[in-house]
Amino acid sequence: MYTSEFTYHKASSVSDALAQLASNPDAKLLAGGHSLIPTMKLRLASPSALIDVSSLPELRGIRTEGDTIIIGAMTTHRELEFSKVPLLSEVARLIGDPMVRNKGTIGGALAHADPSADYPAAILALNAKIKIQSSSGARVVTADEFFQGMFTTALAPGEMLVEIHVPASVKGAAYEKFAHPASRYAVAGVAVVVHSDGSLRAAVTGAGDHAMRLTKLESEGVSSACKGLVSASDLMGDHFASAEYRAHLVDVMASKALARAK
Amino acid sequence: MTEKFFGKAVKRVEDPRFITGAGNYTDDIVLHNMTYAAMVRSPYAHAKINSIDASAALALPGVLAVLTGKDLVAAGINPIPPGWLLPDLKISAHHAIQPDKVTHVGNIVAAVIAETRAIAEDAAALVDVDYEMLPAVALGSTALAEGAPQVHELAPGNVAFKWEIGDSAAVDAEFAHAFKTVEVKLRNQRLVPNAIEPRSSLADYKRAGDEYTLYTTSQNPHIHRVMLGAFIMGIPEHKLRIVSPDVGGGFGSKIFQYPEEVIVLFASKKLNRPVKWTATRSESFVSDAQGRDHETVAEMCVDADHKVLALRVKTIANLGAYLTTFAPAVPTYLYGTLMNGTYKWKAIHCHVTGTYTNTVGVDAYRGAGRPEATYVLERIMSRMALELGVDPLEFRRKNFIQPDEFPYQTPVALQYDSGNYEPAMDKAMAMLDYAGLRAKQAEGRKNGKYIGIGVSTYLEACGLAPSALVGSLGAQAGQWESALVRVSATGKVEVLTGSHSHGQGHETAFAQVVADELQIPMEDVSIVHGDTARLPHGWGTYGSRSAPVGLSAIKMASDKINDKAKKIAAHLLEASVDDIVHEDGKYQVKGVPEKSKSFFDIALMAHLAHNYPADLEPGLEATHFYDPKNFVYPFGTHLAVVEVDANTGHIQLIRYVCVDDCGPIINPLIVEGQVHGGVAQGMGQALLENTVYDDNGQLTSGSYLEYTMPRADNMVQLEIGHTVTPSPHNPLGVKGIGEAGTISSTAAIANAVIDALEPFGVKHLDMPYTPEKVWRAISASLPQAADD
Amino acid sequence: MLLEGSHFIHSPPSRVFALLNDPDVLSRCVPGVKSLVLDGTDSYKAQVEVAIGPVKGKFDGKIAITEKVQDQSMTLKVEFKSPVGIANALGTLKLEPENDGTTVHWAGEPQLMGMIASVGARLIGGVAKVQADLFFSKLELEAQKVES
Repeated sequence: MYTSEFTYHKASSVSDALAQLASNPDAKLLAGGHSLIPTMKLRLASPSALIDVSSLPELRGIRTEGDTIIIGAMTTHRELEFSKVPLLSEVARLIGDPMVRNKGTIGGALAHADPSADYPAAILALNAKIKIQSSSGARVVTADEFFQGMFTTALAPGEMLVEIHVPASVKGAAYEKFAHPASRYAVAGVAVVVHSDGSLRAAVTGAGDHAMRLTKLESEGVSSACKGLVSASDLMGDHFASAEYRAHLVDVMASKALARAK
Repeated sequence: MTEKFFGKAVKRVEDPRFITGAGNYTDDIVLHNMTYAAMVRSPYAHAKINSIDASAALALPGVLAVLTGKDLVAAGINPIPPGWLLPDLKISAHHAIQPDKVTHVGNIVAAVIAETRAIAEDAAALVDVDYEMLPAVALGSTALAEGAPQVHELAPGNVAFKWEIGDSAAVDAEFAHAFKTVEVKLRNQRLVPNAIEPRSSLADYKRAGDEYTLYTTSQNPHIHRVMLGAFIMGIPEHKLRIVSPDVGGGFGSKIFQYPEEVIVLFASKKLNRPVKWTATRSESFVSDAQGRDHETVAEMCVDADHKVLALRVKTIANLGAYLTTFAPAVPTYLYGTLMNGTYKWKAIHCHVTGTYTNTVGVDAYRGAGRPEATYVLERIMSRMALELGVDPLEFRRKNFIQPDEFPYQTPVALQYDSGNYEPAMDKAMAMLDYAGLRAKQAEGRKNGKYIGIGVSTYLEACGLAPSALVGSLGAQAGQWESALVRVSATGKVEVLTGSHSHGQGHETAFAQVVADELQIPMEDVSIVHGDTARLPHGWGTYGSRSAPVGLSAIKMASDKINDKAKKIAAHLLEASVDDIVHEDGKYQVKGVPEKSKSFFDIALMAHLAHNYPADLEPGLEATHFYDPKNFVYPFGTHLAVVEVDANTGHIQLIRYVCVDDCGPIINPLIVEGQVHGGVAQGMGQALLENTVYDDNGQLTSGSYLEYTMPRADNMVQLEIGHTVTPSPHNPLGVKGIGEAGTISSTAAIANAVIDALEPFGVKHLDMPYTPEKVWRAISASLPQAADD
Repeated sequence: MLLEGSHFIHSPPSRVFALLNDPDVLSRCVPGVKSLVLDGTDSYKAQVEVAIGPVKGKFDGKIAITEKVQDQSMTLKVEFKSPVGIANALGTLKLEPENDGTTVHWAGEPQLMGMIASVGARLIGGVAKVQADLFFSKLELEAQKVES
């Protein structure tokens, strides 16, 4: 199908993009487009305008500042796949296929916050920070604060995700995903990170309506047997995988991820 | 010595244009003044159409017309009839646009014609249809149950037909004294065909001559011409040209007469402008005829020597909301007659109830009835072997029809002309190292490694079909095939064939045969198909018929060319016709090779007719219409090996050995390609694909996010072997191979999965073997997951 | 698929029941509501805009209260149409007095039709929970308002 009619603007800068967003509440930012445009072609979404931020130089690039790696929001999955960013390089390789990875961006993926996307589990496990820009300035939120619900993040209308900050080094990290055989999205994807200070952080994506921390695993620590980590009643089911099965998969994936991370 | 092409792995001549984007597909065609159609489709599975308000759509600039069902009925357009009739078949009226009621999600209720495709789509969204929702039913057994919603008034209880074959009393008698009996309940789940090219139709009416041309994605343009011309739209056939250009896959889904073709022809006449429609993939999911969808209870019994005695099969075949072109034949004559397989049954009985439901119509899909039959037969054979505690391959070997028993009359009408099943099975076993793998399996089970080995020693009947036979069974079409071999003045050859190529590589394989027959280079031969204005009448490509039937016609026509060529040569060489031999690319006097004429010489003289036999007509072309005497019976053994991850239930195919006997092989590359594709599709059904209709008849697996298509990492490198048992009744001895891969593989992989789960006490599980289903079967303490 | 949940409202069942039958209150609580008007007894016409991520659908429809037991339970029939598909549901609300308030148990069988059914089926569970959460948190706010 064709999309409904829309106007296309190539933003000249972050402030230009924010100004356009402010003047048209029905507009959407366009990053890699591989979640947005299929939705528009099915006419499930019909924004009146698309503001293309994908090639803004200030949103690209991966750089290290001290013990933090700063990732520009428009960094593509492919760039991350071939980078040395802990855990995210491993996760990026599992997203879609090479063509999707050439276009899709980490900022777009995080802002979209699909319940089955891969990055959110890793972002939570890495204890990342997310920098958000608005016309009144910038703020930084924690990963825990960022993911709030199904397709719901801390981004308020008129705000834009500009950077992701992750630790430059960790003791160990792994992501294990059980993929839906059709969409290849996560049915249950578990990220486990052992941080430099020895602390353990773990999170799951795909099993519930948004990515969440695996607090039981974190409290049990690296010797956890990974059994009963989540309750099926906290998860979602569909005709491919019930909540009960997802809960079981979380245990299996967590066990594999933990074994590699520790 | 001229080069022989038969048996050579010649690279396909059609591929360069396909892989460089230079194919000519229906959607590529742009005609002057062309308009576009978009269909308004019902979101309800079952509803009355109270009213349609097209005013907002018509008000959009660029919209030329909005057609409704009432417009077509008023213009005398008839519903689309099925092309196969069974006794007491209840036929619901399948209008191109529904005037009063919709009976499946995707049913067309209006068509918008506009200057551009984007405008047509925008306008289609503005057509306001007032529906009154009615209760819907999606599953066959539910539709037959007491109190189910009625899909069509003329089919009480939603029964479209009841059909049976075999001898019920004889079966009962065998069961009465049998040594052992087993029963299996089987679900052969519905599949969406998913050809890579969506359907497309472009109608071009020319008022000046009152003539129509329809470019359409069809496997059989002449069938469309007859149906559209004579039965649906009242267009004289000679004023209706159907062109089926390059077509990107069909697998059966492009055989049938579809509503959109009627609509674009009607609209083109109304506007006197070309009208094009191309499906979106979302539309394909709710409008292309789907496949399979059987619910079966099967029982078999054996004697104390483990010899098979009788097979009893009861099937509910879900036909969807309308009978499409071959729908009545697929779960009956292409299914029940295959229940004998490669074994010596004493008695067989098969009963099928065809039922209407509020879903898309079900018809032929790669294998068309034979995969369904093979699944029943091969599953129950392996189930019986498990029950008897014997090796499933040895159990089968004991029951094979022996090579000296052909022709073999089965209890289900078919008479097999040839076969030699054991060597194929032995070859497959050797290729796999069956005994070694069974030992590895036993060892692995001690260490929590679970592999399964599954077998299918299949047989199939293809090369459709002897016309009189299928006519007596209800076919409303002939099933012979035509060929016209036309030699030009300078010895170049065009072969006009009624077979259509939409992935089969006919332009290559057919040219190989003609080049051999006429002893000319392959480059001098072109194969022409798909245009009713150029071809003699033909019946198209499906049912693995192009080699056994289409090529037989070509061979016979080529023989006629050679006969005539010899007469011309005899005249030019002043010799007797009986002394002319055709060798080394020359027509020469036997024993006197310097007295010869080349193909070029013959062709030229046939056209000049200057020095020419008085009693011979000039020209050099020959036509042959070939009606096969029987089906052909390819067979083989497939061995599938899978591994189960007991933690997650994930099944991975790890080895696949197939030995197929399709008779003499024309082009090994093409045959391998057919086997690869067929096995991938069969694997898709066993492990991945599932068409999910909810209780309201909503298709909830309507995109590739949900409907799992086979991908490269689901497959394994196939280990391919062949045996060669020619068919005794066609000139080249060839059998079909296009569907055999699919017919066999679903059963082989299903058996492999059940075999892998044997340590967990699993005796049967329905496809697709999704991870949760397998995990639950393993964790037998948890309730079975219900999914349909 | 049956979906269910429960929410605690800090108000007695009689007040909660009254709120649930007040069109003005409903027009403030139903998520994404653009208009909600009474259309006969216990029947409403509504226009609702539902946004889940980038998916936005404008739905036109009806809400009918088909059964009610004063201060105890209600059965609702909901029918909404939009260009992206149709969403119908049959739902029940049961009010249970608990401590100083009411636990509202909701249960429903959503029926999706059209495009949202063919591509959105995996999300319906989560979407329904989100909509229910939004509704009840707004209802809680209404319950907190000083009774007039």
